[in-house]
Amino acid sequence: MVSGGIGWVVAVNLIIWTGLFLYLLRLGKRLRELEKDS
Amino acid sequence: MKKLLAWLLWLWISLVIVGAFLYAPLAKGFLGESSRILFFHVPMAWASFIGFIAAAVWSGRYLFGRRDPRHDRAAAVAIELGLVFGVFATVTGALWARIMWGAYWNWDPRQISILISLLFYGAYLALRAAVDDRETRGRLSAAYALLGLVVTPFLFWIMPRITYSLHPEPVINAQGKVEMEARMSQVLYASGIGFTALFFWIHNLQCRIQALFDRRAAL
Amino acid sequence: MRRNTSTWGAEVAAVFAKEWRCEFRTRYSLNTLALFACTTLVVVSFSLGPLGVSRSQGTALLPVLLWIILLFSVAAGLPRAFVQEEETHTATALRLAATPSALFCGKLLYGLTLVFALEALVTPVYVAMTSFNVESPGLLIAVLAAGGYGLAVGSTLVAAIIAQARSKGTLFSVLAFPVLLPLLVLTVEVTRCAASGSAPDVALPQLLLYDAVVTVAGLMLFPVVWNP
Repeated sequence: MVSGGIGWVVAVNLIIWTGLFLYLLRLGKRLRELEKDS
Repeated sequence: MKKLLAWLLWLWISLVIVGAFLYAPLAKGFLGESSRILFFHVPMAWASFIGFIAAAVWSGRYLFGRRDPRHDRAAAVAIELGLVFGVFATVTGALWARIMWGAYWNWDPRQISILISLLFYGAYLALRAAVDDRETRGRLSAAYALLGLVVTPFLFWIMPRITYSLHPEPVINAQGKVEMEARMSQVLYASGIGFTALFFWIHNLQCRIQALFDRRAAL
Repeated sequence: MRRNTSTWGAEVAAVFAKEWRCEFRTRYSLNTLALFACTTLVVVSFSLGPLGVSRSQGTALLPVLLWIILLFSVAAGLPRAFVQEEETHTATALRLAATPSALFCGKLLYGLTLVFALEALVTPVYVAMTSFNVESPGLLIAVLAAGGYGLAVGSTLVAAIIAQARSKGTLFSVLAFPVLLPLLVLTVEVTRCAASGSAPDVALPQLLLYDAVVTVAGLMLFPVVWNP
């Protein structure tokens, strides 16, 4: 792995992490709505 | 407030990712960049283990307390998540082992220990699946979780010591043997905190999902 | 709860006696244990015989196989301890008749006698058939006792847990193996020391500690498992 390549690895990891994070946020929001109904 | 904490976590782990690849130095004696994987492999194993401890605590509170179904649910979710994190930890560990030592599996004591813990998690979930009555299920799985709790120290702390004393040239266990430079341990601990926080956030969400399911099922 | 010790002891003895009476009626566990042990013994010596295991290989290999034989025999024969109770619905009567700790100890005693009988049967035959050279026979007996106890107490507790679940056959193995695996690692290690004549200063105390820890856990957890 070349140092130029490291930047890519970091970027991919950040994208994956941010994706997971946003998913969890949305999940939380949906849960709050469902809990308010029941 | 919760939103703020969540975004703080996002920032924290993002910094860990950046730090793992750009800030921390490479560990000595490792092939190329492969030591980077430790910043994710080790914290996931930690989180998995902490999940197990938490499950045992909740199991104890359930069993010897008021038999609150929320405790039972929290324990079960913690074990499920512990299994997921544990599998990720094992897989990343195996990948790294392949790079370092040429084989995915080396019968290293730590590898064996984590495998047996995964067996524990699986056994716990199998037990839950085999009992229909909610209270019996909670009671039996809580008892098993506590039995697991007393047996695991033998796995993690005692077994490796025996096999080390046996084999003259121990399989290099990086976490134990490598002296870590300050920057490495900073990122490692930060990563540990981040993954643990992530674990409990997901745990909270999953518990709430499960609670909604249970409520719907009861109707 | 202050109990008259002689009554408690009498309860344990009664449970123990009952277990053996039931067992002799069907002889299921005994047969399963014996059959399993003999079969595995034969398989092991048939496969090792032609290989001509050397002394050093023997020290490394033979302890493991012995304990595998013991483990699987116990897993095959012991779980019936509680299962048949639930199946024949005598469990409710037991719940009324005996205190949980007496019940646990009675069952444990029964399991112990099964395991020790198994070891007494298997070990001499195994040692003879595989030409297993043991430098410290005293240590071997000690590890058979301590390890056998560990097998019995762990299996009794797990058997109690699965008795109230479905699919008991496979479930026992699934639940028991993670619990018994650390025990096995320790017993194999001490057995290796017995074979090679070295001192088990690390493994033997831990083996005894394991026994103590699981016993305490059993005494504390069994009442909650048993009583709804």
